[in-house]
Amino acid sequence: MKLRLQITKESGIRFISHLEYQATLEKAIRRAKLPVAYSQGYNPHMKFSLASALGVGITSDCEFVEIELTEDMELAKAMAQLSKALPMGIHIKDGDMVEKKAPKLMASAAGAEYVVKVPCLADPSDGIHAFNIAAQVIFAKPIPKSHGKTKEIDVKNFIPVVSGKYADNVLELKFSCKITLKGSMKAAELLLVLKDQFHVPIVYEAADIRRVALYGLNDLGHKRPLLSKAQ
Amino acid sequence: MHKDLPIDILNSVEKPERYTGMEFGSVIKTPEETEVSVCLAFPDTYEVGMSYLGFKILYGILNDVQGIAAERAFAPWMDMEGKMRERKIPLSSMETSRELSQFSLVGFTLQYELSYTNIINMLDLGNITVLSKERREEEPFVMVGGPCVFNCEPLADFIDFAMIGDGEDIIVEVAQAYKKWQQEGKPGGRKGFLSRVVQIQGVYVPAFYDITYYPDGKIQEVKPNNKYAPKKILKRVVKDLNTVKYPTHPIVPYGTAVHDRIMLELFRGCSRGCRFCNAGIIYRPVRERRKEVLEKLARELVDNTGYDEISLFSLSTADYSCLEDLVKDLLNEYKEERIGISLPSLRIDSFSVDLAQEVQTVRKSGLTFAPEAGSQRMRDVINKGVTKEDLMNAVEAAFKNGWSGVKLYFMIGLPGETDEDIVEIVNLAKSVQYKYKQVTGHGGARVTVSVSNFVPKPYTPFQWVGQNTKAEFDRKHMLLKNHINVKNINYQYHDSTTSLIEGVFARGDRHCGKALYLAWQMGARFDGWSEGFSFERWEKAFAEAGLDMSFYNARVREKDEVFPWEHVSPGVERSFLWREYEKSQRAELTHDCRRSTCTGCGICQNLDMKIIDWKDDSAK
Repeated sequence: MKLRLQITKESGIRFISHLEYQATLEKAIRRAKLPVAYSQGYNPHMKFSLASALGVGITSDCEFVEIELTEDMELAKAMAQLSKALPMGIHIKDGDMVEKKAPKLMASAAGAEYVVKVPCLADPSDGIHAFNIAAQVIFAKPIPKSHGKTKEIDVKNFIPVVSGKYADNVLELKFSCKITLKGSMKAAELLLVLKDQFHVPIVYEAADIRRVALYGLNDLGHKRPLLSKAQ
Repeated sequence: MHKDLPIDILNSVEKPERYTGMEFGSVIKTPEETEVSVCLAFPDTYEVGMSYLGFKILYGILNDVQGIAAERAFAPWMDMEGKMRERKIPLSSMETSRELSQFSLVGFTLQYELSYTNIINMLDLGNITVLSKERREEEPFVMVGGPCVFNCEPLADFIDFAMIGDGEDIIVEVAQAYKKWQQEGKPGGRKGFLSRVVQIQGVYVPAFYDITYYPDGKIQEVKPNNKYAPKKILKRVVKDLNTVKYPTHPIVPYGTAVHDRIMLELFRGCSRGCRFCNAGIIYRPVRERRKEVLEKLARELVDNTGYDEISLFSLSTADYSCLEDLVKDLLNEYKEERIGISLPSLRIDSFSVDLAQEVQTVRKSGLTFAPEAGSQRMRDVINKGVTKEDLMNAVEAAFKNGWSGVKLYFMIGLPGETDEDIVEIVNLAKSVQYKYKQVTGHGGARVTVSVSNFVPKPYTPFQWVGQNTKAEFDRKHMLLKNHINVKNINYQYHDSTTSLIEGVFARGDRHCGKALYLAWQMGARFDGWSEGFSFERWEKAFAEAGLDMSFYNARVREKDEVFPWEHVSPGVERSFLWREYEKSQRAELTHDCRRSTCTGCGICQNLDMKIIDWKDDSAK
């Protein structure tokens, strides 16, 4: 069986790296005494995986973890046990139990939704409007571990539209970002685009970014939740 | 996370994860549950502090007591300090973001001398008056504990009191005394409280002692000026580690601690009697935990933490009487759960290597041994009790078991050292390389020679000796470097200037507080880190304070000189230390008293204790 869970990364632990988040989960799974499977071999590792690495500094309502179990277990019981073993920076939102052979959650992830709250020094409406009507927005995306190399992408392929609400010098942005076979882009990168190319005067360093949903697409191309229980 | 550290600051500093908190196992009590608040402050970064066992022990013990809330604070790195000062954000606790000045008690651990400027800095950042005599009524009491309290004189101007020895009982007694004093309406003010805690055995209040000096700066007399202050403060000891509480629900960091694993303390104390070693005196006598107790603790710790590694912790783990059985039991017990066992230090013998082989199934990268000195004469001077043959047997066992690299720790600047002794370090390393060739039939062993500079410490037989000067240290390092003329010997050494400052504060007196304060004002922080340390700054601070560093580190003391630290005592007899010093000059050895006759250090007698060792399954 495979236990799949939707978990959070709360604001207080936003600066924990992906690896640390993963190591924390591993310890929690041990504490919870779940009958978790291990790989074979000289240096066996716990069979669990996290869908899509979240950038450091970003909070999330929708981290997905898949844990391979060696024996059947009632979903509610597994969730309750793990819940008690998690540190206060991580909560369980939802879960399901599927066959071991069920495809990886990440394989069906088609996009992510974000909410960003960021201090903004002036009315951002014009800049946001200009972004929304632009046919193409080119961004030089850094290539990881390439010592500063970049590749050009069209932001609009991933984020066609952004909605913004501005009050008390704080801009609240909401948008969906597609995850494609060719990759995706980071929420922080969109902020750089808005700031540098559309002159939205945000205080980039102070942006509070939250990933609120990770979704798949059904046959009709509509958004659907990743976990089967809620389908 | 500190609720008051904004995102943009965290985005702009190095390693923002170190300011996180909210770990599994951290304890957050409500204001109603908090009658006495204790801030356990670690004068270094989070990663370093969370690796320290004493911190876990005290945190657990205090929070187990109803009405006491223990929280943690760490030194912010210099970039973070800059931001905090810029925006006037005070230093506060990880648990409830309580500013340091709002605690009842703020306790610092004194792990190493080079963290002292961080203590002053943390007080200042936490809005606590830095000088204890200027502290206002409503401010917290600043207390210290840990190994360096056996000479905390350089900090006398900044602390209210020190707790000497094992902390488990005394810290709770102090917190309870605070509670009572508070309930009674704080009679007598700050002095009233200090007059109470000084009556707890092991508490030292520096302000209750007057010190007079001779014109040459040496101490004439140390005299109590308060009727409750004892003439000598004897350390506190936990007599039986089997019954004392051990933290089985420690905080589990999110993965940022240097030592991120279960620390199972097998025993306290070490009586091998190395003459340079301060820990070997201050933690005496040896007190072992029973194997059954350790196995029970291990089970609880594994269940409560989720760690996959248990480190068998102590000053010299290979000396634990039931180590072989314990390791066997633990390996069996945790095989299914895929939990590994590790040994933090190895004794120089094949028994240790065989054990390392047994527990370490994956990494074959390197083994570390500490012969401490290159020549047999020098090893006898320091009473290391190890021969070249021992080392050769150990590395032979290692190489036969598949290791291809060893790291060897040495010290230079030891008393009576000659250039020949130093060159012997290189010869020993070359012999190790040759041994590899003998065992494997080919060359290519990686031998690392790591050399540190000897710092004479208080309460050791070498407390009388002078430390080498900078010029001497640097010349000796050069000598070593020039003699290591072969491939595959990697030479690592410590900067001599940090060792010199360590040498000043290790045997410093109250006057050093002035230089400490000035250095801090000039920007000294994180002196244990190359990023923070500046020798020029220290030279300037001492000059401005009108003090001569060499008076503290390089000077040879007379036999009967009154030392600044002697009113605080680990229980050792001065005559024993002097005898050991004399024996060192004759390169004579002293045996380990653990499983043999008493060597007369006086500690067991003065503390009314006995060695607890389970070799024949009966405590001696």
